Amino acid sequence: MRERWTGVPGGRRTGVLAALALVGIVAWVQLGLAPSSLVPRPGGVQIARNFFAGALSPALDYQAGDVPAGAPPFLLRLLSALWSTILYAAAAVALALPAGLLLGFLASSSWWAVDPVCGSRRRARRSALAGTAQALLRVFIAALRSVHELLWAVVFLAAMGLSPVTGVLALAIPYSGTFAKVFSEMLDEAPTDSARALRGVGAAPATIFLWGNLPRALPDMAAYVFYRFECAIRASAVLGFFGFPTIGYFLRASFEDTQYREVWSYLYALLALVLLLEVWSSALRRRFVA
Amino acid sequence: MTSRKDEIARLHSARPRSYFMRTSLVAFALLGAGAWLWTVVGAVDLLGAHRLANVSRFLVHDAAPYPLRESGFSWQALRAWIAMMWETQAAEGAAATLWISVIAILIAGSAALPLALAGARVLAVPDPFLASNAGDQRGLEWTLRRTFALLVRQLSVAMRAIPEYVLAFLLLAILGSNAWAAILALALHNAGILGRLGTETVENLDARPLRALRLAGADRGALALWVALPLAFPRFLLYFFYRFETCVREATVLGILGIASLGASVQEARARQRYDEMLFLILVGGAIVLLADLVSQLARTWIRRET
Repeated sequence: MRERWTGVPGGRRTGVLAALALVGIVAWVQLGLAPSSLVPRPGGVQIARNFFAGALSPALDYQAGDVPAGAPPFLLRLLSALWSTILYAAAAVALALPAGLLLGFLASSSWWAVDPVCGSRRRARRSALAGTAQALLRVFIAALRSVHELLWAVVFLAAMGLSPVTGVLALAIPYSGTFAKVFSEMLDEAPTDSARALRGVGAAPATIFLWGNLPRALPDMAAYVFYRFECAIRASAVLGFFGFPTIGYFLRASFEDTQYREVWSYLYALLALVLLLEVWSSALRRRFVA
Repeated sequence: MTSRKDEIARLHSARPRSYFMRTSLVAFALLGAGAWLWTVVGAVDLLGAHRLANVSRFLVHDAAPYPLRESGFSWQALRAWIAMMWETQAAEGAAATLWISVIAILIAGSAALPLALAGARVLAVPDPFLASNAGDQRGLEWTLRRTFALLVRQLSVAMRAIPEYVLAFLLLAILGSNAWAAILALALHNAGILGRLGTETVENLDARPLRALRLAGADRGALALWVALPLAFPRFLLYFFYRFETCVREATVLGILGIASLGASVQEARARQRYDEMLFLILVGGAIVLLADLVSQLARTWIRRET
């Protein structure tokens, strides 16, 4: 790391921090924020007290006495909400992964490079056509990513109505864009040693990409798929707020009925699911990175 | 003498294998295949005549900007409509979305620094960066410090486990409808993520400068504040800008809950079934996310080049 004198008193770190603080102050003024609005509204204190009181005793059964006839037991409802959450997330990732792999390959410089060993854009000798195709593809990928999954859901709901496919597509479209972007970056940043070796023995470009570049990026890509699956679980839980039968749907209903102990059960279930996935993925990562 | 074929077979059978990995792979493949099947079955249902009619009505009629529906297409009418929409609905929401995410990411970044330092295992030992931390000298203090660091790391994971949208929903009920609910929701979630990434950064720092200053007499606090933080700063900034972009993405939708960001106008247009306006606002949302993406990429390129 080289430090250069930049004329900012205190050095560049201080300069960066000062600039960030300045932007923060502008944002604060623009929003008209006041610390006083952090104080809960009159009814809010009571809600907060009741809500946090439920944290230590999450519900294992319906909190209210009058349960409509035919309602499944609470734990069963919780499990089915959890299962829907997993299913929507899994379906979205299963759809987004092939699309993201394809787009990611096509958007990476190592795919288009005439000399595939050079990952960097600058050094790669490419035809103008390849450059244009890659640039267009990157714009397309950025556009896929730029619209939030819930906004996709809102559009699909307006066009097609409520259906599992609506929810899955809403998650899958931005996720394929994210997969594509991250995969292409990982492919271009992976070590090029095996690609060089393959090129040295005269392998074809496709062979070099598939057996040289790709395997070097694969551990990172696999780890990223896990992380994205975790994000998909969260996003799928939120889809419930729009009427899909995932955790968010029941969480919102319970909260609006002031059944805060039930809300905590849903929150803990989501937390447990994410923690489980985290433990599982880090156990896997230890094995394939080592 | 072993033949070439035998040698290959021997290497093959001696390759590293893990049943845990295989089982996980099979489990995920099954889950993925099942989910695919489920989606395909659902898609067949979606192709019914009724639904298709809805889709075509949406695309042909609802999605077309209102002034163009009867009078046919003209650039002038479209421009006037866009200008009207921008002034009356989009501009304010877009600005609020940006400012909310700026404040949120600044709070998250500041909160992540102590989380990152407290969670780092390299600092959570009785004598950081000295040889006296070998296995036979692990006493009560070692255990306590390690446990504390573990708890901090678990706290980071727990903070990020609850989606921003749910956090904002809960905070709105308590704080009432103001920007703080969105800011705190985004800040909590991102502080968890940045804290986790920051911990990894601190743990992966080059130990030599830390050890050198430790030997020169710096204590734990001085090491953390004056060595670890400055060394980790560029990478922190990298993550900070990477999360800023996601923050803007999330801030666009939090408005749906009733906070004054772009999502609030989206929700209003949706409730009134003005789908042309809704689509326009969603496109504006996409545009400001692209803008944030650009800012974030420029900043990250600058950091990479300068450090």
